[in-house]
Amino acid sequence: MEVLTEKNTKQTPSKPPKSMSPWAIARRKFVRNKLAMVSSFFLLTVMIMSFLAPYITTIDITRVNIGQMSLPPSGEHWLGTDKSGRDVFVRLLYGGRVSLTVGIAATALIVVFGTVIGSIAGYFGGVVDSVLMRFTDFILNFPFLVFVIVLNAILFGKLSGVWVLIVVISVLGWGGVARLVRSKILSEKENEYILAAISIGCKPSKVIIKHLLPNVLSTIIVQATILFATMIVAESGLSYLGFGVPTEVPSWGNMLSTSRDPDVMQNMPWTWIPPAVVLTLTILSINFIGEGIKDALNPKSYR
Amino acid sequence: MNITINHEKISERKTDSGENLLEIKNLKTYYPIKGGFFRRTLGHVKAVDNVSFEIKKGETFGLVGESGCGKSTTGRTILRLLDPTDGQIVFDGNDITNLTGAKLREARKDFQMVFQDPYASLNPMQMVGDIISEPIKNYYPRKKSKEIKTEVMDLLERVGLPSDAYYKYAHEFSGGQRQRIGIARALALKPKLIVADEPVSALDVSVQSQVLNLLKELQDDFDLTYLFIAHDLSVVKHMSDRIGVMYLGNLVEVADKHSIYDEPLHPYTQALISAIPEPDPDKKKERIVLQGDVPSPSNPPSGCPFHTRCPLAKEECSEIKPQLKEVKQNHRVACILYD
Repeated sequence: MEVLTEKNTKQTPSKPPKSMSPWAIARRKFVRNKLAMVSSFFLLTVMIMSFLAPYITTIDITRVNIGQMSLPPSGEHWLGTDKSGRDVFVRLLYGGRVSLTVGIAATALIVVFGTVIGSIAGYFGGVVDSVLMRFTDFILNFPFLVFVIVLNAILFGKLSGVWVLIVVISVLGWGGVARLVRSKILSEKENEYILAAISIGCKPSKVIIKHLLPNVLSTIIVQATILFATMIVAESGLSYLGFGVPTEVPSWGNMLSTSRDPDVMQNMPWTWIPPAVVLTLTILSINFIGEGIKDALNPKSYR
Repeated sequence: MNITINHEKISERKTDSGENLLEIKNLKTYYPIKGGFFRRTLGHVKAVDNVSFEIKKGETFGLVGESGCGKSTTGRTILRLLDPTDGQIVFDGNDITNLTGAKLREARKDFQMVFQDPYASLNPMQMVGDIISEPIKNYYPRKKSKEIKTEVMDLLERVGLPSDAYYKYAHEFSGGQRQRIGIARALALKPKLIVADEPVSALDVSVQSQVLNLLKELQDDFDLTYLFIAHDLSVVKHMSDRIGVMYLGNLVEVADKHSIYDEPLHPYTQALISAIPEPDPDKKKERIVLQGDVPSPSNPPSGCPFHTRCPLAKEECSEIKPQLKEVKQNHRVACILYD
């Protein structure tokens, strides 16, 4: 190996073609995954339509229209109307807005909180780890449903509408992520590059944020997609039972809960089949996307 | 392995400044063994047990021993990447044994490490330029990024990497090149001491000699002092000025390299030296084959740690633990045969 010693032979490279970062490689693999791409497209469409609902339709969702109760699908009401005379399609759009908001916000809160707790516990170990993980166990052991009902009652009126539910399920939901992140950090921190980072003078916070987290991020992202789906299901489930978002707020779960009425169940399928179908397809596509990300981030898979 | 490059240039270097850069006194690093319901400490793995030596400015101190004898733990404890259980580490006149937090970070500027595994020692998510500039950014946050970049480019060139390596990721390089990246990172802060923890044991032989010679050249250019840890005796012979031999967490012999290779005193060193393959087929060599395995460091034998396998062991060897003593000039050995 020749080692050049002449200083002036060296030149700063004129920005060579950037080599692919591990993220870029993953992105390319993901784009090649057809199922994941179709799912992404579907999810994106659902999201855009939901969040742009006020621009798509001008129909007021809260007004009860006695003259148009229980109409089957027609040209005027694409998916018909429900027992209170509200347009099902419009409610589906606004419902998606609420359901997706709950899903996204709860997932974000859970992932952030779980990651912070998990990475601190995993990195420092010892007493810090013991205290934090016992606390996590404590949270994980709460009976979910009972607690949701109690917290809902306590927080009712202090926070507006859906945020009660978001806070409640986030408070109870971060334990799994914390455990997962901790275990990942525990194995990742044994790598010599972490010792190297300490030795070149990185503070603990920097070691965690710059060296550990990017290397466990793939696991967190995959976990987040699964959580996103779970949270949408949780919203629907709780709303169906009447403990979710307030009944006057449309959500997919609230729309489904109208089918508790046997008459609606039997004679008005257009009110509950659309939310059920959209909900199922959304959950499915989220799971496919999660699988796709998992494959893309796995250096051993070639697709 | 035979290395025959640049001998005239590098074999005779001045190391006679006589000043100690690093002094280690009675260093102990124990790993607790925890068990039971309450995770009580049941015992200790004595990875480093009462090791003392010193490294002079500008020299290369080789540390040899078989796997698991505590070489790497010694190296990491010296750099305070592990906490010593007992003993003292004096670096450049300052006691760094009990430094913590910001003070320890400040001290780390002067001692860096080159790691064994070129694959695990580089962050796969960082570009090479970021890997090498990170130490500079950590210690000189006000430095202009342009200046840092020039420095990194100089370093890349100095360790023999192309300048376009700056924008590449570690996974695009071979083992030898990755080790060069690790060396450049260690050099970025212009440290006084570099602990090289088996820097070439993961590389193939042809690349080994390149990296070793690079380390030697850098030593002259940057006035470096090395603690060179290895288990390959010919590599250590090529690199070191003085050599310490470790067995089961204990330092059993310290001397300059000629004394170690020409007249080893400790029975363990003799067995090690006799195991070096001889390239000349006509030369008859007597090979000392040790019986048995290395005892567990969690339950080391009483007395001399080597007595269970020593061909010359006497009865009192299992009772008296020999201390490292100077038996000749600059030649210390821990064995009762020389008392």
